[in-house]
Amino acid sequence: MTEHVQTLLDAVALGSIYGLMAIGIGLVFGVLRLVNFAYGQLVMAGAYALALTQDVSVVLSIALCFAVVLALSLAMELAAFRPLRNASPTTMLVATFAISYLLQSIALVRFGAIGKILVVIPQLTKPLTIGSLHVRWITIVTILVAAGVFAALTLFLTRTSIGLQMRAASIDSETARLLGVRANAVITVAVLISGAIAALVAVILPMAVPERILVTPDYALRETIIVLVGVVVGGIDRLLTATLGGFTMGFLVGALSGFLPSSGSWPFTSSVYLDSAVFMLVIVVLLLRPEGLFTRSRRSVVDRV
Amino acid sequence: MPTADAAPILQVRGLEVRYGSVPALRDVDLEVQRGEIVGLIGPNGAGKSTTLQAIVGTVRASAGEILLGGVSIRGQAPERIVRSGVGLVPEGRRIFAALTVEENLRLGLAGRRSKNGAHEALEMVNELFPVLRESRRRHAGLLSGGQQQQLAIGRALVAEPDVLLLDEPSLGLAPTIVDAVFEKLGAIRDRGVTILLVEQRAQRTVAFADRTYVLANGELRMTLGPGEAGDTDRMVAAYFGS
Amino acid sequence: MRRGDLVQLLGPIGLVVLVGIIGSLGFVSPDRQVEILGALVSVAIVVSLYVFVGNSGVVSFGHVSFVAVGAFAAGVMTIPVTLKPTITPGLFSLLARHSLGNVPSLVLAALVGGVFALLVGIPLMRLSGLSAGIATFAVLGVTHNILANWTKIGPGPLTLTTIPQTTGMLQGTLGAVGVVLVAFAYQRSRFGRKLRAAREDPAAARAAGIDIHRERLWAFALSGTLCGFAGGLFVHQAGTLQAGDVYLDLTFLTLAMLVVGGVGSLWGAVVGALVVSALGSFLLDAENGDVGFVNDLLGKPLWGGSRLVGVAAFMALVLVLLPSGLTNGREFGLPRLPRIRRPVRGSAS
Repeated sequence: MTEHVQTLLDAVALGSIYGLMAIGIGLVFGVLRLVNFAYGQLVMAGAYALALTQDVSVVLSIALCFAVVLALSLAMELAAFRPLRNASPTTMLVATFAISYLLQSIALVRFGAIGKILVVIPQLTKPLTIGSLHVRWITIVTILVAAGVFAALTLFLTRTSIGLQMRAASIDSETARLLGVRANAVITVAVLISGAIAALVAVILPMAVPERILVTPDYALRETIIVLVGVVVGGIDRLLTATLGGFTMGFLVGALSGFLPSSGSWPFTSSVYLDSAVFMLVIVVLLLRPEGLFTRSRRSVVDRV
Repeated sequence: MPTADAAPILQVRGLEVRYGSVPALRDVDLEVQRGEIVGLIGPNGAGKSTTLQAIVGTVRASAGEILLGGVSIRGQAPERIVRSGVGLVPEGRRIFAALTVEENLRLGLAGRRSKNGAHEALEMVNELFPVLRESRRRHAGLLSGGQQQQLAIGRALVAEPDVLLLDEPSLGLAPTIVDAVFEKLGAIRDRGVTILLVEQRAQRTVAFADRTYVLANGELRMTLGPGEAGDTDRMVAAYFGS
Repeated sequence: MRRGDLVQLLGPIGLVVLVGIIGSLGFVSPDRQVEILGALVSVAIVVSLYVFVGNSGVVSFGHVSFVAVGAFAAGVMTIPVTLKPTITPGLFSLLARHSLGNVPSLVLAALVGGVFALLVGIPLMRLSGLSAGIATFAVLGVTHNILANWTKIGPGPLTLTTIPQTTGMLQGTLGAVGVVLVAFAYQRSRFGRKLRAAREDPAAARAAGIDIHRERLWAFALSGTLCGFAGGLFVHQAGTLQAGDVYLDLTFLTLAMLVVGGVGSLWGAVVGALVVSALGSFLLDAENGDVGFVNDLLGKPLWGGSRLVGVAAFMALVLVLLPSGLTNGREFGLPRLPRIRRPVRGSAS
């Protein structure tokens, strides 16, 4: 019983991380109609920043991580997203594919294929024992942080004028501009928030996911792919549905890897086939509801392409 | 400053717009003086909406000059033009149906030149359109057509523009509501806002405006005064060419 | 067929044959030959991808799945039966007890690719836009995951070795030419034309009675068949294979080659594959200090790993600056100068 509770809690934590990444991807998609495949490389850059500064104080190291990721986000916006403003969603997706690959190869050349071990705050990986239940602190912290980010973002989007402008620009950017909303300013803010979330993920991921303790050039790539798929499956048009999509994928991955046996000779019978199981599910969902699992409208922007 | 007041607040000179190689507007000149209501009428496809779009910068002018208070705004981004004092009530209203009435109004504040006085501006609009205050928490998509039109006008007004451009505000509204809209426009002018009104309802507009330009086939044909609203022959001649 | 059509074919075929001939010249070093052969195999893969993406206008991130199944089928079925128990233990007995020759292996690769694409395409071709892109990505994920783990059909997480390296310069060239010819024949055919019409204006095509779903499916299956075949060429060139070889990197590389050349034309697919391959070779030479002016300029060879970064940067740059590619989506054409060419004989039309 307690074992199941632990697995579920871990799955919720993984879902929270994926949900955070989904927010980062969904925010930028909202204002730019751009699916950023290179989002994982922002996390990767942040993780390298953390890994290379482990000898300085934790606070400074984290601050550096945020600085690097924010600068890189801004550079992406200026050098790539802006020239691509009017391209089709698929062209933009392929372009960010190229950017992702470029950043990976830079990391490969600069830091090598052998990973760097990263532990940001060792205390957080220790378990908390409640009765017979052992939960790592980071699991709880992750869930709380994700909930906090989601709440803060909701407040930002509904209570502040720039947040309101961001929502308007996501719905209809031309009309928003005709009301005096500065599109580039709104986009820059969205890109920066999305970058800050990537930096946050870079801090949390190596602690929360044991196999992500090693920072490599393709760091967070697998997560990005699954989140991207989740975001589209959930419904990329709206931040809430996109986030739910990301969370669901993370939860599924976490739960399945906890409950499936670790070996089996046929596909889908063990946790090594986790990706297959998840992607098959995705294909089925896309076929049944191409407009998104959690959307209510029948036709979405995704389908109009 | 008497000199500044004498200059037209909005001046368009030799405006030309092309869609590909097809000219949509040719050599259009028009002027709007401070405090005036100026009409712009013409048949479908005459270029009325294109004129407004060229002024707010959503279509590119291939020739000519657009001056706001004597300063050229041609070629600037729409949001910049709006922020320098041009308010637009777009065709089809284009309110954000998924946002509340209040949020729609607050969005209009993006076009303000100064951050001060936003609260007063919202108050002013709520006074002008009491229905907006009553339904401020409702989703704008739930409003009736007439209420949505009031919201679109109010949303442009909270930016306190020098000139308010309206693109067919009476389109799709019942006659009694059209009356109300025109009445509101008069009230808005009384508050010192200059108005450039694009309309299909020709006679009504000519009678209502201080001056009305007639546009046909992308060219200005004539200017009519309120007294000429009954002069159907001249209008027909202008619409269909002489 | 009109003469202008044949001129369109002249560019891609001529270029591929020229590359093949250069690769066969005596003074070309073995290392260089490997690179040239790699470029020819890339042409085969990219043109196969083009058959679907170029004609339908729908981007697929899943085509490397078909390359992968073709490569694994060809690889598993050509290693000697006696070596199979050590190299890939756990195979189904049918697979473990038989081996194929060179040509049957390529045919098998094409068949496996085609059948897989057809099966996948039947449901997937109903999707469009981003949903389709993501769904094809999911197919790639499933294929990779199964190939990388299921030891009954292949080596699973191990590496397949001792695969006969039958893709030499002759087979490489012929293979690439063959794929180009099929692609050209398809896009000139009734099917290809219908699909291209649907790409330009889906509504009008539908109104004209074109069943877009079916046309897309044909293109997808044909494209998958060619991809499988190209996967066969690929594995018989490399001699070894593991699941990671035919996954994300290859997907990115081939897709980028296609977009760099120009998605909309066969000529673009060929040019893109060759230009990106050539850039890769050049940067590798520069890293090894074999390029004089780079040495002079930097005072040393290009730093290691520049090839990866250079190729990726080049592709990102072209994608951002020239979204319709180097050929701008146009087919090969000769400059309109005085016509001194003889009429092409045998051009029945």
